[in-house]
Amino acid sequence: MTAVRAPAAARPVHATRGHLRAAARLLRLELRRNAMAWMLPVAAGLFWLTAYHKAMAAPPLWNLRATSMQKGALVAFACPVAGAAAWMGSREARRHTTDLVTITARPRWARLLTTWAATTCWAMMGYLGCVAVLYGVTAQQATWGGPLWWPAAVAAAGLSAVSALGFAAGTLIPSRFTAPGAAIAAFFALALSTVLIHGSQSYWQISPLVTGPWDIGPDAGVATFYPYLPDLSIAQVMFLTGLTIAVLGALLLPNGPGGGWLRAAAATVSAAGLLAAGTAVALAGTGKMDAHGMIAIPALHDAVNDRPVHYTPVCSRTAIPVCLNPAYTSYLPAATAALVPVLNEIAGLPGAPARISQAAATYQQGIGNSVRASLAGPSISGTPPVLRLLLPDQLLGPGMTTSALATALRASAGPAIVAGVTGDSPGVSPAQHAVAAALRMSAGLPQSSPSAPGMQPPTATGPLPIPVRSAARRFAALPASARHAWLVHHLAALRAGRITLAQLP
Amino acid sequence: MNVEITGLTRRFGQNMAVAGVDLRAGPGVFGLLGPNGAGKTSLLRMLATAIRPTSGRLRLLGRDPGSYGPRREIRRRLGYLPQNLGYYPGFTVAEFVEYFALLKEVPAAQIPAAVAAAIERVELGGEAKTKLRALSGGMLRRAGIAQAIVNEPGLLLLDEPTAGLDPEQRVAFRALLRELGQRATVVVSTHLVEDVGAACTQVALMDAGKIVFHGAPADLTARGEGHGTGDAPLERGYSAVLAGARS
Repeated sequence: MTAVRAPAAARPVHATRGHLRAAARLLRLELRRNAMAWMLPVAAGLFWLTAYHKAMAAPPLWNLRATSMQKGALVAFACPVAGAAAWMGSREARRHTTDLVTITARPRWARLLTTWAATTCWAMMGYLGCVAVLYGVTAQQATWGGPLWWPAAVAAAGLSAVSALGFAAGTLIPSRFTAPGAAIAAFFALALSTVLIHGSQSYWQISPLVTGPWDIGPDAGVATFYPYLPDLSIAQVMFLTGLTIAVLGALLLPNGPGGGWLRAAAATVSAAGLLAAGTAVALAGTGKMDAHGMIAIPALHDAVNDRPVHYTPVCSRTAIPVCLNPAYTSYLPAATAALVPVLNEIAGLPGAPARISQAAATYQQGIGNSVRASLAGPSISGTPPVLRLLLPDQLLGPGMTTSALATALRASAGPAIVAGVTGDSPGVSPAQHAVAAALRMSAGLPQSSPSAPGMQPPTATGPLPIPVRSAARRFAALPASARHAWLVHHLAALRAGRITLAQLP
Repeated sequence: MNVEITGLTRRFGQNMAVAGVDLRAGPGVFGLLGPNGAGKTSLLRMLATAIRPTSGRLRLLGRDPGSYGPRREIRRRLGYLPQNLGYYPGFTVAEFVEYFALLKEVPAAQIPAAVAAAIERVELGGEAKTKLRALSGGMLRRAGIAQAIVNEPGLLLLDEPTAGLDPEQRVAFRALLRELGQRATVVVSTHLVEDVGAACTQVALMDAGKIVFHGAPADLTARGEGHGTGDAPLERGYSAVLAGARS
């Protein structure tokens, strides 16, 4: 040890200038030695295993990928972030530096806030990196639309809140067991936060895991034909930010005598955070599922978001074009292939649709968390007539592969299209049944199947009487041109019920 | 006077750790001696503003630490090395010292030079980039001293600073103490009377929470003349004063 004079001694050590520079240096130091940096591979691995894989299994639709990402990212990051934040929050007590840091000039709030900020910065860097990868891949795969930022913002706000809560736990209960405890608590808090959701007017929708009506699951039909409603996301961001501010404000209350103004400021900040969080919860309770399958909150709702998104459909080059929303372009070949046989059968017939067009689903809240999705309005309308249908993917239920979607579409929409041409009013004649059955046979469609939701169901769904089946086989055995020529001339009479089984060729 | 204490007490539950201490100290090295449990560490922690006195008047560096603003001013010019140094094992020596320089609000522009100088002063320049977890006990103690002096304190409080240092390092440390004591008030709490004899200009002896002797080391030595306990003159003075206080 040498008795040399330090260069710093030549100048007074009062830190009256360069506060920002000093704060930046402190943050850089905290970033360099932060536990969250070590937890990033764990968080990224969890994200890859859960959120990324799940999102990539869904079709390349921005709505599916974004909502899946919001949930998955939170689940993947919450535990590591809560644990790391608690570890950092308990650092001073664990390492017995409390006296050393307490007697320094920098206020406690500034010191703790810097440590928390460094932890949260690392969490955000990891999270944003994961979002960038997921959205980057989706951008390459998606055929229409753009990234949804509100789900990303909710997850980011959620991570800040988890970080603040974990940090507070570590500061208040400085034990080496606090960090694993906080990680486990974060997992259960998230998992249990949705248990009490009942219907679309639940306060519990404030949980950052909720992206829309609970139990609806990822649905391709939501936020494609209409803009993504940010109402619930706004309330969630407000809640999570308020929670973060409230927790940090309470944590940063100075200990020791004096500092009345600082104490008052911290209490005010904390109260403001609580007020924001409480308001957000109340707002979430006023939410209601709208007809487009999203949660609308009247106080936060912008009517502009109720207007349908303008788009130019992509259509097949078939006798009767099959037109889909451009977001579903990747489905067009499979959908067309599924419907072409039946479309070839009915093309050119009087009353046959001029186009098959994908429509938006309409959603209705049922009892509890049940939701119904259906096609609003008649399935055939307009002049020339356009047959509107929903892709099976737009309906509620598990996601499906392209081939599964094509199979489901052929099984549901095919018979409905045939029934729409041959007549499907109650009390259809045996001849109509026979012709419809013959056309289904010719198109390779199943003889009995449920209709596509919202479309006119085939009248006969049970086994056909033997005479009807015989007539159907006879009619189906005709050459396609002969069958088509007969239908061109007799379809009107057939639909009017003036054709008997015996009159069928 | 950098330290002005009148009737200072500190109670921990039923235990009166500091029982009415009066003390004034200006620039120089002030030794605080006393047996275990005498109240030295409690007194030092109050001087460090780590704990509040139960009663009494305390002024440090001309300010009242009971108020928030003056307390911050005091803390900017305070250095403290606790008896049990806590540290962050993942920090390097330079990072550890820089961290405390930042917490002590050393102007950002001066920090690199101040950190380098503090590390050099404790002869850890070659270990600046070594993580604290890799240091020996003596090196850790020196890193602790470096963080205490990085802000060129006006009041430096050292609790057992030479514990763990080898004889050569202790000699060097005493030289550092004398140099620091030219401009600042350095309060050194220690069991090692030879440190007091070599470096201190004033010494106080505490027992049962009270100061039972306050004067120059030579005066303490003089109190030991004719007293049989102790190998060195200062130790004999120490023993004589304690025996007198307890009789």
